Amino acid sequence: MASGSKAGTPHHVMVIDTNRCVGCWTCAVACKQINNEPLGYWWNRVLTTAPNQSTTAKAPASDNIDVPYGVFPNLELAYLPVACQHCNDAPCVKVCPVQATFRRDDGTVLVDYERCIGCRYCMAACPYGVRIFNWGDAEYAPGGIVGYGEEYRYDGRLVFTPERPKGVVEKCTFCVELIDVGEDPYCVQACPIGARIFGDLNDADSTVSQLVNEGGAVQLHPELGTDPNVYYVPVRQRVARES
Amino acid sequence: MATSTASLPISAPRERSSQFGLRLWYGVLVLVGAFGVAAWIYELEHGLAATGMRDVVSWGMYIFTFAFFIGLSAGGLIMASSAEVFGIKALKPLSRLGVLSAAACVTVAALMIIPDLGRPDRILNIFIHPNWTSPLIWDILIISVYFVFSVVDFAVLQRHESEPTTLRRTVRVLAYVGLPTAVLLHSVTAWIFGLQIARTWWNTSLMAPLFVVSAILSGTALVTLLALAAERWGGLNLPDDTRRWLRGFITVALIVDLFFVGCDYITVLWGNVPADRSALNLVLPGGSWSWIFWTEWIVGGVIPLSLLLVPRLRKVQGSLGLAASLAIVGVLAFRIELVVIGFINPLTQFPPGNAIGTYNPTTTSFQLIGRYSPTWVEYGIVLGLVALFAAIMTVGYHRLIGPSAAKPKAVVRPLPAAPGPEVPAGTDASTPGGPGTVRNA
Repeated sequence: MASGSKAGTPHHVMVIDTNRCVGCWTCAVACKQINNEPLGYWWNRVLTTAPNQSTTAKAPASDNIDVPYGVFPNLELAYLPVACQHCNDAPCVKVCPVQATFRRDDGTVLVDYERCIGCRYCMAACPYGVRIFNWGDAEYAPGGIVGYGEEYRYDGRLVFTPERPKGVVEKCTFCVELIDVGEDPYCVQACPIGARIFGDLNDADSTVSQLVNEGGAVQLHPELGTDPNVYYVPVRQRVARES
Repeated sequence: MATSTASLPISAPRERSSQFGLRLWYGVLVLVGAFGVAAWIYELEHGLAATGMRDVVSWGMYIFTFAFFIGLSAGGLIMASSAEVFGIKALKPLSRLGVLSAAACVTVAALMIIPDLGRPDRILNIFIHPNWTSPLIWDILIISVYFVFSVVDFAVLQRHESEPTTLRRTVRVLAYVGLPTAVLLHSVTAWIFGLQIARTWWNTSLMAPLFVVSAILSGTALVTLLALAAERWGGLNLPDDTRRWLRGFITVALIVDLFFVGCDYITVLWGNVPADRSALNLVLPGGSWSWIFWTEWIVGGVIPLSLLLVPRLRKVQGSLGLAASLAIVGVLAFRIELVVIGFINPLTQFPPGNAIGTYNPTTTSFQLIGRYSPTWVEYGIVLGLVALFAAIMTVGYHRLIGPSAAKPKAVVRPLPAAPGPEVPAGTDASTPGGPGTVRNA
């Protein structure tokens, strides 16, 4: 695990315990709210899966969510919330022709809304399909701007804005505006079952360190070598009852 | 071939034919071009939401047409260079036509990227903040080099044409530089796709060789069509020897191209890795995109190969032109297959898939398997740029290459008032044919 963090800077990591996830989509909706995502935008989504399956290995049980895999009574069902994986060796950072997508020292991958030229090469390069493009004018359900509601700059670069910049790519920011003031990302705060844990991997005593180092938390598509900063605690398999 | 010089064999001057046809052709091109500009203005106004692309299929017609035109640009330069490097005299008469088409194709390909950008106003960021790990930056670099090279090469060939004693060495040196430059252009364009680990459909080391050979195929076929059009409408006399070489080039390139594509298919079929198979199944007969398979293998494969190889069919009038057209259609199908299937094949097999990024009250915002069909805006812009290519070739041929250009060497001609150049008497411009179009008069 190559963590390129300098000493002193935290290495931000999110761990999602798939044993706890109930597939309620609260994190996805909370994400939409804090980031003022227009209709049709989902920075964060919850996939319906079979337990511990690679996301490409198994044919879908259905096009719809919440449909279990298998034949009754031998059914199985699990959930996999997927947003930006904040890879340490991020394909999107490598392909961006103008360095608009960049990785901070804490491992967070951000997009500079003011530099992006909208070529969408990052969307072609991302193995997780988590990037959203501003195709046209943003459409909202009635109500106006909600959530964080202000622009946020890191190192002078605009990395979050509640107004949608047309023609630019965006994605999960790990709620950079919240973590920079010591709060958890909003999906972590919103999860009703505490399935999401956020913390500093450089701190050996943190919960995330324990889950990653001893709790068997794994990355999504580790075989691609992207080295994400989002980890998943696998579903503990129960022995199937004889039918 | 009667002459061994590099000059174009020009047919005997005919009666002055009407300029009406040529003017009509320019009129059509201007109209189509204007439609393209209008479509682009509409797109600038409405954003890329005016296209058929969305977050699942986030590259579409612009990108596969870009890759297609990059491929088309190969033929001319490779043919002109081969004529020098391998001493194929029969191809020398096509050198200038080929290099001109290379310059025109690469111009159109580069312009094709601009409407694909969400923020074309920020395009200079590419030069202000280049990221050298991005294959896109490499490609912009090699496209610029290739464009400058083909313009210089054309100018040198043009000079050499009027004074055959000078610049012999320069022509040779440029030919030796041109061949690797062309190969590099296609390889780098292939790496835009082939280096991406995210999409197994793209991530093959075969991509660069496949791009090079399909570029030679489509590019040679394009030069063939241009030469045939110039023969029909522009007073060019195409010797049998030249035809034979063109036919040979297309035949070999087509066989190697199909061999490479077949290698990819057999690797996926034998390996049976789910993510690879789900992509190939979309293309194979029975899949929802199987028209690509039929276009690539039958329309652009078996039929042109029969036209090129079966002795009885080979003798039929127009078989070479038809085979070249079909081969180009086949390569276009390959480009569509590459880009679109790469996106449609789901990154994750789990529902609900990915959000598409726009709202439609009647359907879900998620797609598991991507959907894509281009809108009129995309067709309009692409057709407009194709018209630009046709215009460059027609003007370039009539003013610089064809018999109409050969005559008044020292005379400075007045600029034409109408959107068509003055065609001096004695040229064969009875029915202007657009490059690449095979029309009946």
